[in-house]
Amino acid sequence: MKGLMDERELSVELAELRSALRELRAPPADEALLRAAFRARRQRLVVAAGQRVDRGVRRRYFAAAAAAAAVTAVVVAAVIGLIGLGRGAVQRPGAEVPVVAGAAAPEATVATAFQPLMYSPGFSPSAAYSVVRVRIPLSSFAVVQGTTVDGTIEADLLVGEDGIARGIRFNKADTLLVSAASE
Amino acid sequence: MTEANPPIEDRTDAELLAAIAAGTEQAFIDLYARRQTDVYRFAFAMAKSRSFAQDVTQEVFLNVLENAARFDAAKGSVRAWLFGCARHVVLDRLRLERRWTDEAAEEIGEHGSEEHVLLQQRAVRLHAAVAQLPVEYREAVVLCELQELSYAETAAVLACPIGTVRSRLHRGRALLAAMLAEGDEGATPAAVVGEAAALRPREVCS
Repeated sequence: MKGLMDERELSVELAELRSALRELRAPPADEALLRAAFRARRQRLVVAAGQRVDRGVRRRYFAAAAAAAAVTAVVVAAVIGLIGLGRGAVQRPGAEVPVVAGAAAPEATVATAFQPLMYSPGFSPSAAYSVVRVRIPLSSFAVVQGTTVDGTIEADLLVGEDGIARGIRFNKADTLLVSAASE
Repeated sequence: MTEANPPIEDRTDAELLAAIAAGTEQAFIDLYARRQTDVYRFAFAMAKSRSFAQDVTQEVFLNVLENAARFDAAKGSVRAWLFGCARHVVLDRLRLERRWTDEAAEEIGEHGSEEHVLLQQRAVRLHAAVAQLPVEYREAVVLCELQELSYAETAAVLACPIGTVRSRLHRGRALLAAMLAEGDEGATPAAVVGEAAALRPREVCS
């Protein structure tokens, strides 16, 4: 090797590089990610600790819980029977239920379960999510080129704490599908 | 954080680690605030890539979360322990990504005065040369020269005798000097490293 650089010169350049590197630090957003990882881990540990309950203790707990549930059921049945006898009429199965005028029957709005969204970070049992109801134009679902569908569909988005949607479910899907097909 | 805890400046790294192992989130954030720059700069100096350094820093502190309770103060300082973790992560990733030196040079600071730009160009040129060093020499140069660890601390991080650290540093510096001088004369740093391949150490530290 020829032309070796002067040792002192190299030391000076290394000191310059050292001071240039001092300006560097990890992006602030990383701290938030690590904080989230810390909390997720702590949650996981709590769940794991709960699952490590001694089997014997768990058996005794379930036996006691089952006995308590049975006693409660007997007491509730007896109270209901007594109330029915006191009124002189016990509702028989198949009997007509009186309808209050003007009261609308509860509408089953949710048509599907939450479906995971593509490219989303996925679900975590330890994370907290919010449900956001949105209205989406049906045209955005057109899968066949050239077809257009008017109207919108109501959907619930499952949104994580980071603001990213993880899942979606559609409301009143049957009605909309039928109407879309008949058009 | 409980009110009884002393402020961050008064708590040693080892105390923070113990608190992390006990599940104190603030201790984790405090240790991160205090030591992330060490890990980030080490990874950046080794690979010359900000995204690489970012990934390594994340992974190291995730390791801290999992292994805080395993830290043994008798074996060295928390700083050396973190550098040891960072070194393993860096080597694993370098091996996986085969990302030795082929990435374009990333600028270290921001542009400013003409003098600053010149200094920066020299720093970038030197950093490129450091990144071309064989990894054994690169580790020694980065830890001793750029992170200012003592020989003993570097030896603890590299799990080598101090004499090995000295010799690697000496050879690393010699290679750097040759690369920079040859660079001035038009030869590429890679060519110099190839020429100096006979200088590679035979011993391998874990």
